[in-house]
Parts: sequence; structure tokens; C-alpha cells
Amino acid sequence: MRKKTTYRNPVSTSKYTGLLLISPFLIGVAAFFIYPFISSFIMSLYNYRMNITPDFIGIDNYKNILSDKAVTESFCVTLKYIFTLVPLKMIFSLCVALILNIELKYMGVFRTIYYIPSTLGSNIAIIILWRYLFTTDGLVNQVLGITGLPAVSWYGEPVPALWTIVLLRVWEFGSCMVIFLAALRDIPKEQYEAAKVDGCGKVRAFFRITLPAIKNVFIMNFIIQLITAFQEFNAPFLITGGNPLKKTYTFAMLIYDEAFAYNNFGYANALSWILFTVTFIVISIILILWNRLKKD
Amino acid sequence: MNKSKNIILKLLLINLTAFTVFSSCDKKNSITEPDGKLDKCTLRFSWWGGDDRHEATLSAIKLWNEKHPDIEIKAEYGGWDGWTQKINTQMAGDNEADVMQINYDWLISMSSDGKGFYDLNKLSDYIDFSEYDDEILSFGTRNNHLNAITVSMSGRGFFYNSDLYEELNFTYPTNWDELINLGKAFEKHDVYPIDLDIQSGGTAWYLCVVYVQQKTAKTFIDMNGNLGFDKEDFKTALDFYSELEENKVIRTIKDRIDSDGADALYQSPAFIDGKIGGVLEWGSSVGKYEAVLDENVLEAGEFLSDENGNKAGWMIKPSLMYAISADTKYPDEAAEFLNFLMSDEECAKILGTTRGIPANNKIYSYMEENDMLSGISYISTEKLNEIMPVTVSPYMDLQQIKDYCNTALENVSYGKASTSQAAEQLYTSISEYLEKIK
Amino acid sequence: MRKFLIYTFLAISSIIMIYPLLWLFGASMKSNSEIFTSIWFIPEKIDFSAYINAWKSAGGYTILHFLKNTLLIIIPKILFAVISSSVTAYGFARFDFPFRKTAFALLFAVMLMPQIATMLPTYIMWREIGVLDTYIPLTLPSLFACEGVFVFILIQFFGGIPKELDEAAAIDGCGALKTLFYIHAPCIRPAIISIAVFTFLWTMNDFMTPLIYISSVEKYPLSLALRMSMDSTGQGYEQNKIIAMSILGLIPSISVFGLAQKQFTSGITTGGVSG
Repeated sequence: MRKKTTYRNPVSTSKYTGLLLISPFLIGVAAFFIYPFISSFIMSLYNYRMNITPDFIGIDNYKNILSDKAVTESFCVTLKYIFTLVPLKMIFSLCVALILNIELKYMGVFRTIYYIPSTLGSNIAIIILWRYLFTTDGLVNQVLGITGLPAVSWYGEPVPALWTIVLLRVWEFGSCMVIFLAALRDIPKEQYEAAKVDGCGKVRAFFRITLPAIKNVFIMNFIIQLITAFQEFNAPFLITGGNPLKKTYTFAMLIYDEAFAYNNFGYANALSWILFTVTFIVISIILILWNRLKKD
Repeated sequence: MNKSKNIILKLLLINLTAFTVFSSCDKKNSITEPDGKLDKCTLRFSWWGGDDRHEATLSAIKLWNEKHPDIEIKAEYGGWDGWTQKINTQMAGDNEADVMQINYDWLISMSSDGKGFYDLNKLSDYIDFSEYDDEILSFGTRNNHLNAITVSMSGRGFFYNSDLYEELNFTYPTNWDELINLGKAFEKHDVYPIDLDIQSGGTAWYLCVVYVQQKTAKTFIDMNGNLGFDKEDFKTALDFYSELEENKVIRTIKDRIDSDGADALYQSPAFIDGKIGGVLEWGSSVGKYEAVLDENVLEAGEFLSDENGNKAGWMIKPSLMYAISADTKYPDEAAEFLNFLMSDEECAKILGTTRGIPANNKIYSYMEENDMLSGISYISTEKLNEIMPVTVSPYMDLQQIKDYCNTALENVSYGKASTSQAAEQLYTSISEYLEKIK
Repeated sequence: MRKFLIYTFLAISSIIMIYPLLWLFGASMKSNSEIFTSIWFIPEKIDFSAYINAWKSAGGYTILHFLKNTLLIIIPKILFAVISSSVTAYGFARFDFPFRKTAFALLFAVMLMPQIATMLPTYIMWREIGVLDTYIPLTLPSLFACEGVFVFILIQFFGGIPKELDEAAAIDGCGALKTLFYIHAPCIRPAIISIAVFTFLWTMNDFMTPLIYISSVEKYPLSLALRMSMDSTGQGYEQNKIIAMSILGLIPSISVFGLAQKQFTSGITTGGVSG
């Protein structure tokens, strides 16, 4: 799609057809995003607390962010979370999608079963469920006990606590998997048959046919997961509350607390803009690299 | 192309100025003054709570409708999760309900200058202030504006699992030394005499404050947001906490979250199975602890004293308050409704203690005469009232202050900081924060 | 043999996927104290009273009422999202136009801003328009392709459709929209269905948006009704009722996915040219 300079759409030659097609989106952006974005930026320049006349303080909020230890700490937590979760979830989803793509009887039932955890989302039942799984005498530790492994202090230690959140999101891998599945269903069967005739093994067929065919979807899925992980709030909020020692306290939780618990709206908006800018840069870099890679 | 770009930009700017970003700035100009009569209207009334409170309040509204068919009440209610956020958004958007059930610390976060809510002093034709103690009224006053009326008062006290104490043959502690000695004695049986927490409840810090206040006769933070403790006091508080952990009076933070996750103590298997002998809880919400044990097992304990029997330092606060929106178009009607909720006997009969033990004197005596007050919540509140508790400052209830204190306790518990380091840090953070928001 | 291995693997991992849910189902029959203390999912006694309470729900309404409200939000939202996202994605994927790059960057920007930052101004905007406490703030944004993720997903799937199809369509005299609906839509059906399913599930679980915009209890969707009796500051609540309501709320989601998943499998590539 980025070879646009050479591609002229045969259906319509007007250069405004595309603009017309995306006009609902543009209107939406103007109505629902530009105005809130600008307001939010303006708010970030104020010492804005509910029911105090807001004070214009210029970029002080941004300056404070630089010296705020809570910001750096929660940002590190978010990065750790992303580096653990995203690769794990991607690989797991792709593997399961590959298996579920095999034509067998009752596959539909299995597909549904694998999707069930995702339907829970951030349902409050998760709190009860996860506590039951990961507390000292929880199911996971009992299973570990049976296999002779030592019990893990899941919630009490920083690293395992982060893992409980990661595991929740990996367990809820359904949406990520469905996107892969949809892409896999799109690969013509003939390609595999041809490869088979050529004496190509399963593994080689995966790298020669499957991966190239879903590479766009793969990178897109990767970006979506990245964005979601950057904004992770619900899982740590429900499961660990940011404990212990704030080692599961994500950036989005900090924004939430500043806005609603500490009543520091201007600062929360400044933090939002920081998060926005960082994710925007990260994703732009990924997309630029990806385009380079495709051209080569 | 540049021209059209300009037009788009201009349109956006118009769009921007059309809606005020800081809508709360101009709200004070539009206060509706009371007109001295009750008109036909619809009032919005918002509250949060559980099923009991919802049902009772809805029946009370029905009763109101019989008495005032002209003034319809639109009920807006839900659970506690996210409720503060909803009200915050509504307040910022000048769209809050006419009559609201509010939390004590909202007085600061939503009305620091006293103008965030309607000044009830203007509505004395409808609300009978003589039914309240002056002190009770002072809690809702900010900057000489009476912003809210206290629905009920509540303080934290100890409640014990009588089965466990009987089984081990111990009596409930009456002073700090007894409490600390219980730790070692209970340890032999692999149980704890009490437990505290640093999460939603924050009872650990609360007890530390009581201890220091009793010992030094200082106040942690006064009603105007001045810090009363110095560095040394913070160190005493944290040392006291360490002592509790070291003597096995309470579980360490790590042990607690390992087995309970982020949950409160009444959801802890250790408490439900009787491995924890007691909790520190608001008299107004001890019901959830009672409910998970067998009937009548939980008993109200004494408020701890020093070795001379001095019981000072314990605290009390408004557990819930009612306020009227500063933007209301119907102040007379809202006040009449508020007064109905607070001081109508028939209404009180329906509401019972779903919002705690009423702070309204008339209703309190009415309920006492009719034997509507009983149970450990009542016993504990009575005991607390006898020892002249100090009022919790709304500043102490601010989440940021709580979080600073809990972080300090956590660092001490995990051995990440010595008590003097943590006290130093805590003192700096709290004094800076108070400076910033006052 | 290979089949056997696959089935064994699937069966074992399915247990891991659904055991926690079985436990929740068991928990819905337990008392509060049993929920917090017992490990085994079978309750002491089989007791469906939590489901009766859950059915009665709260505020004098049954759970069906809240479910109906949820559907009143979900159905328009799905329709809006599917149509607007496909048209927008089609524009991005198949056409060149001025400011295309900027528009594409906007698509990302929309996804990246934390909701907290935009919430307050958006709330004030809806108040000015005068539609608070209606479903409009919840559904209308979908009409303008505001879920960047969906557009993004669709763009990728459009990329997989051979350009020759467009040329064939052009020769047949199809216009842009005709080409989209008759030629492309069948090809990207799995993606469209994914979008519909995601919209369904996300809306089902969304709690914050309705919390802020909906004030009348009779208009509450299920996600709000679920938390209506939860008051952690007060006297506590019956956990089993909440769990039972959650489970009842999961039934529509699971059935919708169960039905939709068939669509992922049926002839996608075959549906292509017959337009």
C-alpha cells in the first residue's frame, strides 16, 4: 500500500476519491480528537485541580515530570511489562493459531474454548480468580508442589508479581490469536500443496510460505499489542494494585491516580502527553524500519 | 492547499472556544438563590453503596413522593468502584446531581475554597441546624461555607474473634504493651492477635498515628492542613510499626499480600479461618467482617491506652455526608429533601443504619428509644464517644497522603529503608505536598 | 497418530483454558467465606440461589433489562464500526490522496492518547450537545471510524487482495463504493467479523465509559449493573451474586464468538471474484 506513487487506482482516477472515503474518519478526528487533544494539552500547562481556579504555570508540569521519581519508576515497570508480555503473547498466539488452523473435526469447539478467557476481559471475577490461583496456597503453588518445585511467592515479590499480570494477559490471548487465524485462513491451500510437491518440509513451508504471507498482519498485530501494553491499567489495578513496592505500578496507573486519586489534573494531562509522545515515536520508528526492510 | 488548511484550523479554534476547557471557573457566578417556596420540579439525588442501602434509599424516596408529589426524585446510584471518578467528571462538567452523598475528603478535593458545593447556611429555613452538635456542623464547613452535613460519625476500633481468644485463653488487650506481648504468645499457636493493612484500608498507618498522638498529645495533621508531627514523631510511628511486625502482632506486608493478594482483610482466608484474632475497622463498616465469621463471634474491644490508662489520640470522622450542588436550580427543594433524609422519623425508620449511626440528635434519640441501635458497631461507637476522640483531618484522608505513608511502611517492612530514613523521606513528602495544595 | 497427538494437546490445553472458569462456576454456589478459603471448585452444596439473586439483579430490574440495554449500545456500535472502518480502510489502502501520510499518522494518534486525557473535554463536549445520559456518546463515535485499531486491521487485509480485482471491477464499470461492497467485502469477511466480535466483547466489558455518561439506573448496561451492589467502603457484598451475574453476562459473549468462529473458516478465498 505504500507504493502509492506508482499505483493509480483503476476504479477511480480522481485524486479526491480517497479523501472522500476517509472523510467520516476525518470528521470524527476533528470532532472527537482534535478538540480533546488540544484541551488536554492546554490543561497540561495549568496547575489544574478540581475547584481551584486553575493557575497557568507554563511547562512546569513537564519540568516536574523529569524530576519525579514515581514517573521513572512506573515507566521502567511499563517497559519491563512490555518486553515480557508482547513477545510471549505474540509467539503463543501464533502457535495456537497455527494449530487451530488445521482442518479437523470439532475445531470450532476448540477455537471457542480458547477464546473464552478473552471474553472475561477485565471482569471483576478476575480478581477472585487470580487470587485463588496465585496466593501462597493457591492452585499454581499446589501444582508446583506436586511436581516437586518450590512454591513461589507470587504477590509478595516484585518479579513474580509482574508475571501474574503477564500471565493474565497471555491467558487472554484470544483477540491476538483471532487476527492471526483470520490471516492464516487467507493463505491459498494451493501454495502448500505446491511446496509439498517440491519436497518442502513443514518447518520450511512455514518460513517460506506462511510467514511471508502473514508478515503484514504480524507487524500490525505486534503494533496493536504494543499500544495496548503501553496503556495497561486494568490488570495491575485489579490484581496487584501496583504492589509490592510499586513494582507493578504502570505508567497508566500513575496517570489515573494523579487525575482521580490525587486530584492533580494538569499533571495527569502532562503525563498523558508524555506517554502519547513516547508511543508515537516508538511506533513511527517501527513502521519506518519495517518499510525499509520491505523495500530491500 | 494552504488556504484550506487555514480554514480548517480556524474552524477548530472556533470549536475550541465554544466549549470552555475550565468550565469550573465560571460556575460561581451562576448560583441560584433560594426563593422561599417549594416548586414543582425533578431533583437528582446520587449516592453509592451496596444492595441494602440502595433498597432502603429507594423506599425512602417512595415515602418522600407520597409526602411531596410535586417534587420528583431521580435516583442515581451505583457501587463504589469508579464512583469518585464519575462525580469528579460531573463536577468538572457542572452536571452533578442536586443532592449528593459525598465522602469526607471530597470537601478538600472538590471544594477547597468552600465554593464547590452550595452553602447550606443560606437554607436554614429548611434544614433544622439545632438538631446537630456544633462540632458536627463544623466538619462540613469550609471557608465559612457550610458545604455538607454529616450523616454519621465513625471511628476505627478493634474487633476480636472471640472464639480464638477463648480457645487460647487470652483476654482482649487494653493497652499497647499487652497488645505487643500477645504477639509472642500467639506465635506458638501459629496465629496472630490482630492484623493491619496498607492497602485500601490503610489501618497500619492509622494505628501508628493513634499511638503517636496518644504519646505526644500532638495531632498528625490539623483540620486546616497543618502538619503537627515532626521527623521524630514519624520515626516513632514507623518504629512502632516495626515493633508490631517483629513481635508477630501482625503479619509482615509480604506475608499478607502473598496470601491475600490485593484483597482486604475480610476476604483473607486467614481471617475467615480464625487464624487472625482481630481487626481495626470503622464502626460503620464492620459488618463485612462479622458476616464471614459465625454469628456473634466478632466482639468489640477496648480502645488501647498507655500504661497510665490514658486513652487520648483515638480518632473519629464523618463517615458520610450530604451536600447540595453549587449549580442546583432548586436549592429550596433540595434542602427540603436533604432535611427529610436527615431528620424525618418515618424516613429514619426505613433507612435504619444503612448509612451508619445517625449524627442527627433527634433521630439518634428516636432510634435509641425504638431499639433500632444495637450490635458491635453501636457498642464500639459508644465506647469511642466516651473517650473524647479527636477528629480525623480531611487532609489525612487524602489519597496522596495515605500513599506516602503506606510507601514508607512498605519500605520499612521490606527492609528497603531504616525507620529514620523512611521518616525523613515521609516528613519531606508530606510537608511539601500540604504546602502545594493548601 | 498425528491426529491423536493434536487432539490430546488441544484437550489438555483446553482444560487449562477453562478450569478457572469452572472454578468460577463452582464459586458462584459458595458463600463468601467458602469462596475465599476453598481450593476445590466443587462447592459444599449445590445451590443456585446466587443465580436467582443475579437474575433479580438490582434496582428493581432483572438482568434481562440490563442485557437489553447492553445490546441497545452494542448493535448500533457494531453496524457503525463495521461500515465506517471498512470505508475508511478502503480509502487508505487503495487510494492516493493529498495529506495521506498526515491522515495515516492521525490514525495512530487516535489510538495512542490515554483515555483519561481526552475524557474530560469529551464529556464537556457531549454536555454542550446535550446528550448526556443517553447512548449517543457511547455509540456515535463508532460512526466516524474512531477505533483506529479496526481501520488498521482492515488496511492490512485489504493489502492481501490482489489489485487485479480492482481492475476487473473497473472494466465492469464499478465505482469505488460498489467495488468495496461487492468485490472486496467478501474477501475481507474474516476481518470484518473479527471487528464485529471485538466490538461486541469490548463493549460488553467496558465499564468506565458508561459509568461516566449514564446516570439513570434504568439505562445501565450490564457492566455497570454488575458493580451496582459492590461497596467495598461499606458492609461488603455477596461475592457469589457478582460471580453469577458475570457468568450470565459471559453467555452472550461466548455464544457470539462460537457462532462467529465458523465464519473464519468457511471459504474466504473462494468468495473472492463472484461479485
